[in-house]
Amino acid sequence: MKTIVVEHLARVEGHGGITVELEGDAVSDVRFDVFEGARLLEPLVRGKRYDEVAPALSRICSICSAAHTLTSLKATENAFGVRISPQTELLRELLYRGESIESHALHLFLLALPDYLNYPSATALAADKPDIVLLGLRLKKLGNRIQETIGGRAIHPVNVVPGGFGKVPAVDQLLELRSALIEGMKDSDTVVDLMASLPAAEFCRGNTVYAALLSPNLDSYYAGDEVMIASNGDRSIIRAAEYRELTNEQSVPHSHARHSTFRGKPFMVGSLARLTVKPRRPTGRLVVVRERLQLQAPAGNPMDNNKAQALELVRDMERALETIEQLLREGVKDERPVGVHPRAGTGTAITEAPRGLLIHSYTYDAEGRITSADVITPTALNAASMEMHFRRAVEQCAERDDAVLSKRLQMIARAYDPCISCSVHLVRRR
Amino acid sequence: MKPLLVIGLGNPLMGDDGVGCAVAGRLANDPRLPEDVEVVSGGCDLLRYAAQMEGRSRVVVLDAVYESAEPGCILVFEDPGAQLDATQDHAHHLSAGQAIQLLQMTMPLRATLVGIGASSAGFEPWLSPLMESRMPAILDRVLQELVWTSSM
Repeated sequence: MKTIVVEHLARVEGHGGITVELEGDAVSDVRFDVFEGARLLEPLVRGKRYDEVAPALSRICSICSAAHTLTSLKATENAFGVRISPQTELLRELLYRGESIESHALHLFLLALPDYLNYPSATALAADKPDIVLLGLRLKKLGNRIQETIGGRAIHPVNVVPGGFGKVPAVDQLLELRSALIEGMKDSDTVVDLMASLPAAEFCRGNTVYAALLSPNLDSYYAGDEVMIASNGDRSIIRAAEYRELTNEQSVPHSHARHSTFRGKPFMVGSLARLTVKPRRPTGRLVVVRERLQLQAPAGNPMDNNKAQALELVRDMERALETIEQLLREGVKDERPVGVHPRAGTGTAITEAPRGLLIHSYTYDAEGRITSADVITPTALNAASMEMHFRRAVEQCAERDDAVLSKRLQMIARAYDPCISCSVHLVRRR
Repeated sequence: MKPLLVIGLGNPLMGDDGVGCAVAGRLANDPRLPEDVEVVSGGCDLLRYAAQMEGRSRVVVLDAVYESAEPGCILVFEDPGAQLDATQDHAHHLSAGQAIQLLQMTMPLRATLVGIGASSAGFEPWLSPLMESRMPAILDRVLQELVWTSSM
C-alpha cells in the first residue's frame, strides 16, 4: 500500500491535512482532516445575551468575520421576529460585497495564483511578478475599505447590531466609496485577462452536486431563506428552518468536521455553486467576463471555482457600486436600529459567505439568552465533496508521481478556498 | 507623521494562538504605555490593517510564533520576512511575515514583529495557564521593546 500525505494545510497540530491511500493503482481511502472549531462553539455562547452572540462568533474567522456577524444577527432577528428596514438590508448586502471582494482578491491573487504559476508563495510570486500581487493587494484594500466604512472596523465589524446599524454611513463616506469602486473597476479587465490566461487545471472533472442560497434577486449574499440544490438538471429546495435535511451530518473518525451529504451525495458550495445553481442572466460587462473565462454551467470541474470567484469579484464591484448609487439616489436615512424584543424561540439564518453557504441556528429563552447554537461553515459542508474530488484527481492522473499528485491535491483544496487555517496561524521560524 | 502603531494578531478562540491579541488588549489599558503609541487588536490577517499602517514611521506587530522551546518567550524580528518561514502552507491567509513583505511593496513600511513563543494552540477561548502565568513578564518585555522602538 502507498500513502500520499499533504500536511500543513492548517497550523493545528495533526489537522488540516490530506491523506490518500493507494492499493496498487486503485485509491483505497481518502481523508481530508478539517479542524472545525465552529462546531465546538456552543458552550462558548450558551447563556450569552442576544447582543453578545454576534461579536463572539465573528471571531471564528478573520477573513469571514462580516459573514459570521451578519449571519449571526440574521438568525437572532429571525428568532425574535425582527424585520429590518430595506435600507439596513441594502447596507448589510454592501458590507457582504466588501467582504467578498476582499476575500476573493486575497484568495485568487495571493493564495491560488502562486500554485498556477509555479511559485511556492505570494512573496515569491511578488519578487518576479509584482504587478499581479499589487493588483491583488489593491482590490483587497478596496474590499477592506467598504467593510471599514459600513462595518465600523477593518475586521470583526462592530457597527452592525441587532435590528440595524449603530450608525449609518454619511453621504460623503458613500461618495468616497463610490469613487474608490469606480477606480477599482478599472482593474476588472486585468483580473479577467489574467485569470483567462492561466494554464488549464483539468484533473478531477466529473458530476458534482451544487448547493447555493436562493435569494430573491438571484445574486444576493445576505437576503433569502431557501437553499437550492442542483444535480444533473434535478433541483430541490430546502427552507432555512429545515437545514438539517441539507446538512445531514455524519461524524467521521478522521476529522473534527462532520461530513454533510444531500440524499447521500456530497455537494459543493461556493462561487461555482452560486453560478451553477442560480444562473442569473449575465448583463453588460459580465457577459464578456463569462465568455472570456469560458465558464460553463453546469460545471464539472471544481477548479473552475477560481474563475467563478474572478467573475464574482468583478460583479461584486458592480453591485456594490449599484447599491451605493441606490442609497444616494433614495437618500440615506439616519435610521436607528429597530426595536428587538427577546422571546423564546429558534431562529435559523443561511447566507452566502465568500466560500459558500453559512448556517447559524440559535434557540433562545424568554430572556433572550442562548440555550443552544449550531454553526455550520462552508468548509464543513464542502468536506465530503473535497474528498470526492481528491479521489477523482488521483484516479484521473496517469502519473503516480508523488510530487505531481501532491500539488494537484493542494490545488484542489485551495480551489475550494477552505477556512481551515484562519483559526490558528502560528508563524514559524526558518 | 502618525504615531507608532501596535497591532496584536491572533484568534482569541484558539488558546495561545490569541496571545498577540491578548497582549495588545492589556497594553491598551496599561498606564505604562507610551503616550505616542496606538494599539489595535484583532484577527489573523495583517493585510486588513494596510490603511491604518499608511503614514506611520513604524509598526509593531505582536503575534504568536511557533517556538517549542519556551512558551511566552519574546523573539524580535526587525526583518521578519527574511527570518520566518515563507512557505505558503496556509490555505486561507498569509502569515504576518509574508504580509509585511508584501505591504512593504506598497508603502515605505518599517515593521518590527514581536513574536511570542507558543508551542501549541487548541480550541479554547483563553490562554493556557502557562502562558497566562507569563503574561506579566511578556507585558514588561513588550513595553520595553515599545519604549525602545518609539525612540528610534
